[in-house]
Amino acid sequence: MAANMYRVGDCVYFETSSTSPYQIRRIEELNKTPSGNVEAKVMCFYRRRDLPNPLIQLADKHQMAQSEDSPVAMKLKKICLKTPIGEEQAAQAVLDPAIVAMEEESTELPGGGEGLPPKQRHQAKHRELFLSRHVETLPATHIRGKCTVTLLNETESLLSYLNKDDAFFYCLVFDPSQKTLLADKGEIRVGSRYQTEVTNLLKEGEEDTRTSSELETLVWTPAHGLSDRQIDQFLVVARSVGTFARALDCSSSVKQPSLHMSAAAASRDITLFHAMDTLHKSGYSIEAALSSLVPASGPVLCRDEMEEWSASEANLFEESLDKYGKDFADIRKDFLPWKTLKNLVEYYYMWKTTDRYVQQKRVKAVEAESKLKQVYIPNYNKPNPALINSAPNAASKGAVLNGGTNGTAAVSPSLCASCQVTNSNHWYSWGPQHLQYRLCGSCWQYWKKYGGLKTADVFGESEAEVVRSARAEGEETALSVSHRPHRCTVVNCAKEFKLRAHLARHVATAHGGPGEGARPVMKTRAAFYLRASPFTRLARRLARALRRPRHFARSPFSPINLHQVKHECTIAMAGLGGAEMRGAGAAGVPRARGPVGAVATRLAAALGTAAPRAQEWLVLTPRDRMPTPNHVAFPKPPKAPDGSLMYERVLSRAEQEARRNEAAAQAALPAPPALKRRAYDDVNGLDRGAGGASGAREGGAPPAKRPNKHPAPMQRPSREQYAAMCARAQATGQPLPAHVFAHVNGKPTNLTGRGGRRHVISWMDAPDDLYYRATEAAKSARRSLSCGDLRRGARAPWRAMRGALVGVGALANAGALLGGGALAGAGAGKAAGAGAGAAPLQLVILD
Amino acid sequence: MAMQPHSKKRVCYYYDSDIGNYYYGQGHPMKPHRIRMTHNLLLNYGLYRKMEIYRPHKATADEMTKFHSDDYIRFLRSIRPDNMSEYNKQMQRFNVGEDCPVFDGLYEFCQLSAGGSVAAAVKLNKQASEICINWGGGLHHAKKSEASGFCYVNDIVLGILELLKYHQRVLYIDIDVHHGDGVEEAFYTTDRVMTVSFHKYGEYFPGTGDLRDIGAGKGKYYAVNIPLRDGMDDESYESIFVPIISKVMETFQPSAVVLQCGADSLTGDRLGCFNLTVRGHGRCVELVKRYGLPFLLVGGGGYTIRNVSRCWTYETSVALGVEIANELPYNDYFEYFGPDFKLHISPSNMSNQNTPEYLEKIKNRLFENLRMLPHAPGVQVQAIPEDAVNDESEDEDKIDKDERLPQSEKDKRITGDGELSESEDEGDARRDNRSYRVPQRKRPRLDKDAQPKDDVKAEDSKDDVKNVSNMEEPKKEVTSNA
Repeated sequence: MAANMYRVGDCVYFETSSTSPYQIRRIEELNKTPSGNVEAKVMCFYRRRDLPNPLIQLADKHQMAQSEDSPVAMKLKKICLKTPIGEEQAAQAVLDPAIVAMEEESTELPGGGEGLPPKQRHQAKHRELFLSRHVETLPATHIRGKCTVTLLNETESLLSYLNKDDAFFYCLVFDPSQKTLLADKGEIRVGSRYQTEVTNLLKEGEEDTRTSSELETLVWTPAHGLSDRQIDQFLVVARSVGTFARALDCSSSVKQPSLHMSAAAASRDITLFHAMDTLHKSGYSIEAALSSLVPASGPVLCRDEMEEWSASEANLFEESLDKYGKDFADIRKDFLPWKTLKNLVEYYYMWKTTDRYVQQKRVKAVEAESKLKQVYIPNYNKPNPALINSAPNAASKGAVLNGGTNGTAAVSPSLCASCQVTNSNHWYSWGPQHLQYRLCGSCWQYWKKYGGLKTADVFGESEAEVVRSARAEGEETALSVSHRPHRCTVVNCAKEFKLRAHLARHVATAHGGPGEGARPVMKTRAAFYLRASPFTRLARRLARALRRPRHFARSPFSPINLHQVKHECTIAMAGLGGAEMRGAGAAGVPRARGPVGAVATRLAAALGTAAPRAQEWLVLTPRDRMPTPNHVAFPKPPKAPDGSLMYERVLSRAEQEARRNEAAAQAALPAPPALKRRAYDDVNGLDRGAGGASGAREGGAPPAKRPNKHPAPMQRPSREQYAAMCARAQATGQPLPAHVFAHVNGKPTNLTGRGGRRHVISWMDAPDDLYYRATEAAKSARRSLSCGDLRRGARAPWRAMRGALVGVGALANAGALLGGGALAGAGAGKAAGAGAGAAPLQLVILD
Repeated sequence: MAMQPHSKKRVCYYYDSDIGNYYYGQGHPMKPHRIRMTHNLLLNYGLYRKMEIYRPHKATADEMTKFHSDDYIRFLRSIRPDNMSEYNKQMQRFNVGEDCPVFDGLYEFCQLSAGGSVAAAVKLNKQASEICINWGGGLHHAKKSEASGFCYVNDIVLGILELLKYHQRVLYIDIDVHHGDGVEEAFYTTDRVMTVSFHKYGEYFPGTGDLRDIGAGKGKYYAVNIPLRDGMDDESYESIFVPIISKVMETFQPSAVVLQCGADSLTGDRLGCFNLTVRGHGRCVELVKRYGLPFLLVGGGGYTIRNVSRCWTYETSVALGVEIANELPYNDYFEYFGPDFKLHISPSNMSNQNTPEYLEKIKNRLFENLRMLPHAPGVQVQAIPEDAVNDESEDEDKIDKDERLPQSEKDKRITGDGELSESEDEGDARRDNRSYRVPQRKRPRLDKDAQPKDDVKAEDSKDDVKNVSNMEEPKKEVTSNA
């Protein structure tokens, strides 16, 4: 099917996220990876919604200026449109005052959008793209169809795009790294430095100084009086003379041992050209030409480079070509200095006609197979996760049960968010979840393709904002920052920000909250553990013959005959007394074998050899005899008399800022919660991660060092990022980037070594989206536990702690600290349950 | 502005055997060798013997500075790969280095290319020929003091400047896939040269050639740009080429035409993105030739060299008015033309982004611009000698005193045709069909076209129909002007 054949140069939709609109890309290259997948190197087009707001305004202004043919427009056409990057006040671009003056006029689309009704004007905006030079690589399987992107020509009306499906236009080029727009247009320069002086017509009687005889040499004229047949005959004669000449020439006769080969060599074009030249020079007299073909010195021999070269030279050439490629200057210098560059070039192009080259080309063709010209991608049929499965909903509502259109009608008290239609075969959830917007099938398609809703009036221009929250889902790139203002949702604040990052920071600093509704990014896997009952443990001992632990470890799916086990157990148990049974049950307890040294001695004695002394290398070097390093990389700071370290703590920028804000806002925050159930920052929200971290800081003493707050990727990701990366890697089944390897298993080492303030909980192990944060009180309680108690607690987190003084928190802490992921979850769950009644414990559930 | 029949013309062809051996460098798409490949094809097709073949002189620095700045030419003359490092600053200034590399014999290459076009222009001025061909020329991007897009010296501008000595108005047409910015810029402010360029526009080199670029000053409306999109095929190309050119001819009334035949507009070009076949490309030559004006054909782009040589060979045959077989004759580079070894190529199935509506809109806008020209400029004194060019061929023969047997020339040409088709092993019967022996034609002007052709009968008959419609417009003009 031609429609599913995607070739290099096609513009296509790419689906990189199920909920966000397709991305529009142009295929630059198709490469087959060793694993057999096809990767597409693509050039990015950006939608209006992907561009920062000031740039959009600028683009509109530019277009408007262009449509009028004013001098201002001309000026604008040539400038590179720039905006400062990032900050809140970014709106002001580099503009001429004259252009700014035009700002009041309505900013509209290019190409006379003014003639269009508002709805179409709105839709036309979805068809505008911005070309970029940004190239990325995407798997070809994400292609979701073809589209066309053309440079808008001012003769075209926008309507012609609206009336065609999948048709987009662009006018400007967007540079994502610089955040600039550029009109992709060269210019014809005017001035004496560019134009030529036009020669005047010769005046009457004026002589032209040019004479053709100085400018050219006649090589052949058709006015020769010979018939074509005569010429052909002469050419045959010339070739036969050439053949004969080769027979006489000893160097040729070596190369062309057969007459056949000589004749072929004599038929090359050089002989023919020479024959024509001879004919011309002898005044088109066949006779004269013939005699000059066979002068007294012997028959004329014309050889081109192909023939001139010896076999060894040819080999040398091939070798050098292999080594240097087609750099003939270097080849000449290092391999064939006796040839001229022209010789080499001529030979090269002739050599390409030979078998040798053809062979080489075949090899190359095999190599080049990974570069594809086109790829077939079948239609994508899997349902989108946003598709609302209407039937269960209908059932739960007790409305019409038989699904279909009736069913959906029953479930949709809300209409299509875009077109207000109530009937549709498919419904898709759209926008932030809590709003529960839905789109009908056709509007969903429109949304995916054009990145907007069909009508503007439903949500006005805020549609993109709605969409933005939907993006919290994850895979969105950092680039597609919406250009709509972001409003703080806290009551009585409602500040607006250009970027989401700024909003997040604002929320974090001014309100102390972890940004907008922090939802878990992913559902973690359910953790389980097997709690062996005493009977089970006993059975393990008694039915030892049936157990074969190694075998079942190797093949965990082969069934164990439980009946047989039970049967055997009952038989065995019947013959055992209570004490014996207890003994059998306790058989798992390790025998006291004594220290290793003693065992070794015992074994040695048993074997009859002399009792070995403790090996020298086994003896620990005393601390004072340890070698001291020449250079201490991180010397410890001096100690104060009370034993604490003396150093000046450096505040991080965020902390300073937070302090300032705190002082200014006098934000009266509730007492720090002692126990807090906290959700994790989402995968993509670096900025939100920062918000979450600062929220945590507000809760207690500020940490000595903030985790990586800057969105710019740093060499070492923050803990949150680690967690996110691990989770993502786990979810996608891809290996982690190299620098994360130290932290696989979700248990990154504590990098700063400053105690357990910042916990990284494994995404893989935590059974629920919570973790326990120890307060000072909890920690002191924990300290009062004995080591054995802690271990026991870790091993059996469900068991109540012994010792009345131990708080629930401490118990949970024990689990969190010692047991790692799964146990921590269980422990914390228990702690939370128990803590519900306790006064100092506060449960914050953020979902 | 009468269109001439598809007739035999005196064709002069400029070629230097050295030109094929210049080499831009490893990996560079521009390969002067294509000119040599074309030349070899011409020889083996037997077209060689039907033209005057000239070896051009090497253009001198004086000739080049008629357009280019002195210091730029001085720079080109002195730069070599081994002294490049001394010229860093100038290389930057003159844009020599990346696209336009310094290679061995760079200056000579420019000399030969410019020398051919200048000599050809002089030839046309002297009315010693009706059509001149210089496939080594056509380097349309070169600017006054700047190299650009593989072009260093603008042989076209130099040729046009020469033509302007005898011709009040010269038309330049550019069918390269790239915009002919160098020529357009050189004549942007003059009304004596109209530049018409058909090119791909939109994120494409050189970035100029917008529909709105129409010239400046006196030259306003004398630059015509036809911005096109990917995938132009023969049909769409003709649908825009024919009306534009006939309108231009009607309003501008040039007395000489220069056609840049950049072959990168062919399908499958390494750099191009159009979908023209050799036939569609050659059709432009044919259409322009019909106007019977002194006609200079130059090369240009073209980066899939086997197709370039096919194309230019075919266009030479069109200029000569000689049919050539689709089967390529054996030649030194025969293996390049595998696997089919045919002259004509077929278009790819790429989609044509130029919708008929789009082309129609472009055309209408350009017509509006052309309407702004002072209509039918007064017939000038120079117009009379121009007409002489179009006179009977016997007159020309009298002019050329150096020709050997002027009287028998006609006969020779006729037999020549027959001989050729025979040598290309065509049946004799076909020769009998030759229409010039059939006087009772209703439209004698079309008779050459009406010849049945061996390999592509159906297509040609279609062409015939088109010709009729195309012919009509210019014919009307004749009456209106008279």
